[in-house]
Amino acid sequence: MRKVMYLEFERCIGCRACQAACRECGGHDAKERNYVEYVDFFENRQTYPMLCMQCKDPACARVCPANAIQITEEGVVLSAMEEKCIGCRNCTFGCPFGIPKFDFEENKMYKCDMCYDRTQHEIAPMCASVCPSDAIRFIDHDEMMDLRRRRTQMNLIEGKKPSENNKWDYVPEFFGVYSD
Amino acid sequence: MSQLEKSFYSKSSMYSFIVVVILFMSMWIGTGQFSHMDWMLFGYMVSSFIFFIGMTVRLTSWIMRPATHEVIKRSIQKMKSKNSQKRNGKAIFKTLIDNIILQKYIFKRGVYRGIQHWLIAWGCIGSLAITFGLTLGWMHFKLVDASTYQMVVFNIPTIQMAADGWLAQMFFEGLNITASMLLIGLAMAIIRRIRDKDLKVTQRAEFDLFPLYLLLAVTLTGLFLTVSYKLLGGWMHPQLALIHQITVVVFLVYFPFGKLVHLPMRPMAVSVPMNYQETPGVDTRDCSGCGELYSNDEQIEDVKAILGAQAFDLKNDEGDWLADYCPACRRKLRVMSQLNLPKGAGKAAPVQTNNGIHMPGFGRKRSEDFYQPAHSGKEEL
Ligand code: SF4
Ligand code: SF4
Repeated sequence: MRKVMYLEFERCIGCRACQAACRECGGHDAKERNYVEYVDFFENRQTYPMLCMQCKDPACARVCPANAIQITEEGVVLSAMEEKCIGCRNCTFGCPFGIPKFDFEENKMYKCDMCYDRTQHEIAPMCASVCPSDAIRFIDHDEMMDLRRRRTQMNLIEGKKPSENNKWDYVPEFFGVYSD
Repeated sequence: MSQLEKSFYSKSSMYSFIVVVILFMSMWIGTGQFSHMDWMLFGYMVSSFIFFIGMTVRLTSWIMRPATHEVIKRSIQKMKSKNSQKRNGKAIFKTLIDNIILQKYIFKRGVYRGIQHWLIAWGCIGSLAITFGLTLGWMHFKLVDASTYQMVVFNIPTIQMAADGWLAQMFFEGLNITASMLLIGLAMAIIRRIRDKDLKVTQRAEFDLFPLYLLLAVTLTGLFLTVSYKLLGGWMHPQLALIHQITVVVFLVYFPFGKLVHLPMRPMAVSVPMNYQETPGVDTRDCSGCGELYSNDEQIEDVKAILGAQAFDLKNDEGDWLADYCPACRRKLRVMSQLNLPKGAGKAAPVQTNNGIHMPGFGRKRSEDFYQPAHSGKEEL
């Protein structure tokens, strides 16, 4: 897979289309797995979308006592295997980014799996395919590098120079699964 | 223990040895010094040994994972502690009834799935119990007089029953009953696997389908045996018996290493109410960021220990740990640090969009005079 997820948090307009799309996805049981949240509700209406990072060495899988969280060969971190998950929620508390959700009724954990049914065929995940403001995109690795480069140039125009330990000042976040 | 451990190549070989010795002793007692072994079942017996060794190896390596180890350590500590006995008892009782015997949570995922799983699970457990009981000689039946059987468990005579009574029928038809349960459950599962497209996304042939068809083969050949001697006058009985034996041997050898191994792992679910959440969904620990309740002390302590054991460094610059924050605060911390607005950078301000230049990031806090009323600045001039 050469495609990556590309997030520009500040582009988010808070329409929550991505969450609606996530609920529609097959097997999601009408429950969304992504988040749209306010940066600071009392100050302004800026929102940001949040998805699973599909970590290379996922903390969620490492803290699971049942060994229920599997990683596909492409590197997608899947929701817990239903027959193994014992419902302890260690994954929710182990994930550095607060992603895995838990269904107390059915006693199972569920999390963003980047719409593995779609992305394994290089089709954009549900959220990325509906985002009207391109805050969430599913793009080629090369296109992503290009966008980041342009972003850097933009920052230089604005007089922002990258400093040490501060690379995020000028590049948005990308993640996902790609072979390099 | 550590001295004993040193004499073995690995933990799993040590435990396997212990398990084999125990099995052998139990057989020795059960069959009265091997006086009434059922040599017809020899093939099953050997594969049962392989089953138990495989299971020991699999479970040992599972328990040695840092996460599993930590949770089990906590459970043992709870078991030993005097003042949590009441909670332990309640947790064990509730998990046993709700999760294992009734499997309520699977019924909540769907009644169809619930029935299917319940039939397969109890069909399997029942069949395995009978198989091991008979092949390892833990129990056998003795004819006391012309019309009375007696069940002998570990060479100790127990209940007597009339040879044509319902209890005797239940025992002799035991495997047929469990096999029928399995057959219905398996048919339901296979239909579900064929119909449900969502399942196909992550389903793996060797992991999800193979055990299903293997169990089906075991069940069908087993039932055919009954049909053969009851209805067909023993037609093809020896051949069928051999085929059945082969399928059972494959099943027993496969069991510890495939999907079905969740059966012996499942009882760990008791650690959830016992170690962490006494009542599901009720939290007691508050988040260092927003103060909302999000977990409980024991669980966060364990999560930190597990992460620490695997060299995850999730400590913040402020010296606290990501695990001290609720999931919502963690999401925010991630966004804010990515946009270079770490904690203490002040409040995020609206993105300025009318200055002609697109500013990346959520924008910085404006200087205080931005918030002054427009005229106040003018008056000073
Ligand atoms: S749930 Fe969390 S730890 Fe697991 S892969 Fe996603 S971001 Fe990483
Ligand atoms: S809730 Fe399930 S997936 Fe998450 S850590 Fe516990 S057993 Fe593993």
